[in-house]
Amino acid sequence: MDQRRKPILPGEINMDQSRRGLLSKISRRELMAYGGTAALAVSAGFDPLRAAGKTRFVFANESDYDTVDPHAAFDVGRVAVRLNIYDGLLRWEDNPAKLEPWVAESHTISPDGLTYTFKLRRGVKFHDGSEVKAQDVVYSLDRILAVGKGAASLFKTMIDPGAAKAVDDYTVTFTLTKPSAIFLAIVPEIHIVNTTLIKKNESGGDWGQAWLSKNSAGSGAYKLAQFDPAIGFVGERFPDHFKGWGPKFIDEIEFRGVKDTNTRVLGLLRGDFQGIGGYLQTDQLDRIKKSGNAQILEAESMRVMMAQFNVTRAPLNDVHVRRAINYAFDYDGFDNDILGGLVQRNPTPLPNTIWGVPKDVKGYSFDIAKAKAELAQASAKIDKPLELAFLTGFQQSEQAAQLLQNGLKKAGIESKVVGYPWPTIVEKFKDANTTPDVSIYWISTYYADPHNWVGEMFSSATAGTFKNASHYKNSKVDELLDKALRSTNQAERAKLYEEVTRIVVDDAAGLWIYNTKWYGPYAAKLKGIAFCPIGSAQEMRTAFYDNEG
Amino acid sequence: MRLVALVLKRLAWLAPTLAGLVAIVFFISRVIPADPVALVAGETASRAQIELLRQKLGLDQPLIVQLAQYYKQLLSGDLGTSLFTTRPVWEDLSARLPATIELTVAAMLVSVVLGIPLGVVSALYRNRFIDHLLRVVTVAGLAVASFWLALLLQLLFAMDLRWLPLQARITGFPPPATTGFYVIDALIEGNFTRLGNVLAHLTLPALTLAFPALATVVRFTRAGVLETLQRSFVTYQRAMGIPAGLIVWKYVLRNSLVSTVTQIGLLFGILLAGAVVIETVFQWPGIGSYAFEAILQSDYPGVMGFTLYAGVVFGVVNLIVDVSHAVLDPREAAA
Repeated sequence: MDQRRKPILPGEINMDQSRRGLLSKISRRELMAYGGTAALAVSAGFDPLRAAGKTRFVFANESDYDTVDPHAAFDVGRVAVRLNIYDGLLRWEDNPAKLEPWVAESHTISPDGLTYTFKLRRGVKFHDGSEVKAQDVVYSLDRILAVGKGAASLFKTMIDPGAAKAVDDYTVTFTLTKPSAIFLAIVPEIHIVNTTLIKKNESGGDWGQAWLSKNSAGSGAYKLAQFDPAIGFVGERFPDHFKGWGPKFIDEIEFRGVKDTNTRVLGLLRGDFQGIGGYLQTDQLDRIKKSGNAQILEAESMRVMMAQFNVTRAPLNDVHVRRAINYAFDYDGFDNDILGGLVQRNPTPLPNTIWGVPKDVKGYSFDIAKAKAELAQASAKIDKPLELAFLTGFQQSEQAAQLLQNGLKKAGIESKVVGYPWPTIVEKFKDANTTPDVSIYWISTYYADPHNWVGEMFSSATAGTFKNASHYKNSKVDELLDKALRSTNQAERAKLYEEVTRIVVDDAAGLWIYNTKWYGPYAAKLKGIAFCPIGSAQEMRTAFYDNEG
Repeated sequence: MRLVALVLKRLAWLAPTLAGLVAIVFFISRVIPADPVALVAGETASRAQIELLRQKLGLDQPLIVQLAQYYKQLLSGDLGTSLFTTRPVWEDLSARLPATIELTVAAMLVSVVLGIPLGVVSALYRNRFIDHLLRVVTVAGLAVASFWLALLLQLLFAMDLRWLPLQARITGFPPPATTGFYVIDALIEGNFTRLGNVLAHLTLPALTLAFPALATVVRFTRAGVLETLQRSFVTYQRAMGIPAGLIVWKYVLRNSLVSTVTQIGLLFGILLAGAVVIETVFQWPGIGSYAFEAILQSDYPGVMGFTLYAGVVFGVVNLIVDVSHAVLDPREAAA
């Protein structure tokens, strides 16, 4: 045997190596390992929480936590603050989402659908030890309306300031300006704040906005321990939370804003993070799955990707042109080839998983012959390229626009693909003249009620908003939606929303592509994560490590 | 005395320069067809609700009135309140400034401390292997996209070798800061474990940010040294028998640095722009990511605050460059 290639057995001395210097005895791999150990010792530093035997969870979120005021935001990006630091009267839980009693133990609705009465649990404590009372609920709603941010605009459509009254310490009533079946659905957004604490920190009648943007006044399962708008926030477990705790839990939660997707994924694989947000590409999900130290939880969510048509001007004011566009999009190619089957085809504006979806509606399919046939019936002339708008920075939106452009070309329709940042396109939507012909984006779950989609997307009252960028107006639809809002009977409402959905699909008022499937990348040892479409699984009260440490 | 006059003259120009900058950015930011009020009001806000909020924020006033109001605010030291965070812009900026300054200074130190000697070496060994190697590296430094380099460094040093942290300024959530400059804070407290941790976190972002700047410093130093080496005083000094090292590192280098120093001033601009990308990739909680977010959301006060910061930095850096020129070449101060 060639001596140079002779293997060195464990414990055997290689005379060649013994003649060289000390460093030469160490293989390159060993050298890297030693270097790594030394560097890690420095870079890891000292972790007092681990030393105290406590558990910690770090979540890398795709957007920043620029404020921790629960009434300043109504988005998924900052939902962790609202769900972990604060409580509401009711809360959306599970998937499909169910409205559960939370700080309120029960509620009643007056026969005319105008007055809602909530009975509060006794003994629910704020983080400073004081009790949550009806007066705090009243103040919280008044604050939302006065500050005018987050969910305020939705509340203002049905309730005026001063319409909430504390009957006694544990009973609160809300009197609506008109019956609204979605009131209950948005009650979870009344995050209850500690009135006394905020009043102490008000400045110039600002309802404590400056103070609450970086401090907390809640009763949630975690209390705010640290907040840095440039980094995120840390919550410490609140042992006295009214829901109690199971035998296992996480002592400290940290939510950080980490914008770069790659850094989030690498951080999860490395163990810097135990959970990451954002909708990931197929290759990244595969990479996480194969890593062994992370898991991917899956659930069907409620976030519909769609194309909104500007129906106010030619050629999209012609139903045949709209139908032609619907037939020109390669749904299977997009959902299965481009997105690797990570989504579910969703043929209507309502997510497949919510009530009120007409099961008999199959929607449109990719069929260029049918597209051409519809175009032949169209009276509107397509004398200039259609503007297909996508959201800058959202790759899927751009890919869908390009795929649609390709399909339209086959059908004989010229188009141009244009990207707009979110603030720009919102501004354009306000005026039908500046709204693009076709705009591709998503409608997420702000509240789990069909009104969140078909209600706000096709009501003439919302024309020009982000949800109704098509400026769709149809008196029959308005009438049905109004009926649905006035009724508190879900079965009756479901029928009304089914009818609306049939009308708008037949009218090709938009193009509906898929319902998002949620993929939650978490550390392998993490258990108890409960997904709900409204909270995107960021409520940490039930989470724990299977093998602590 | 001439130096003091130069400084005063430059400072006198800084105020109108900044006022002009504010006016330009003010109008540009408002010409962009975006409506931050609609965003603040929420996606479900009606037109009437948006207009009400616009009035409340004073954004319904004519632009010239808004600009005058902003100047008035600035004179009283108020940068305004962010539309999105609802905190004073100065408070938001000051929370992030130390992170960016620490990163930028570290990157500048790396590029200057390494770049100048390497530039001299490259010139002295002109057209030899070491020169070719350095030229390849410097061309790469200018050509390589910083996000790509950042990713490579992360994969190698944080993921494969696990020698350095992947992201952030410190392990875990940062402790309450004294100055906000973590290196200085750790030194003040005499906490060397934390100092090591902070330096380890600083290494990859600073190297990534320094790479293009380093390339520029090397190239300009090389060109300056090569030019100076041709001058007659060098021949004279050689003839006088002055040691080669002394000629190069004292006389040649000083005469070669004028253009390099100018470039170093301009490099601050590159570093500031680069910091936006680097801060995003390394999750560095600095002003770059704040500016990015403010621009994206059309947060006017935030954008203006960042612009003023950039303007002041440029102004101060240019002042330092001018003073350095005067020190390196006293004829400039006299001019």
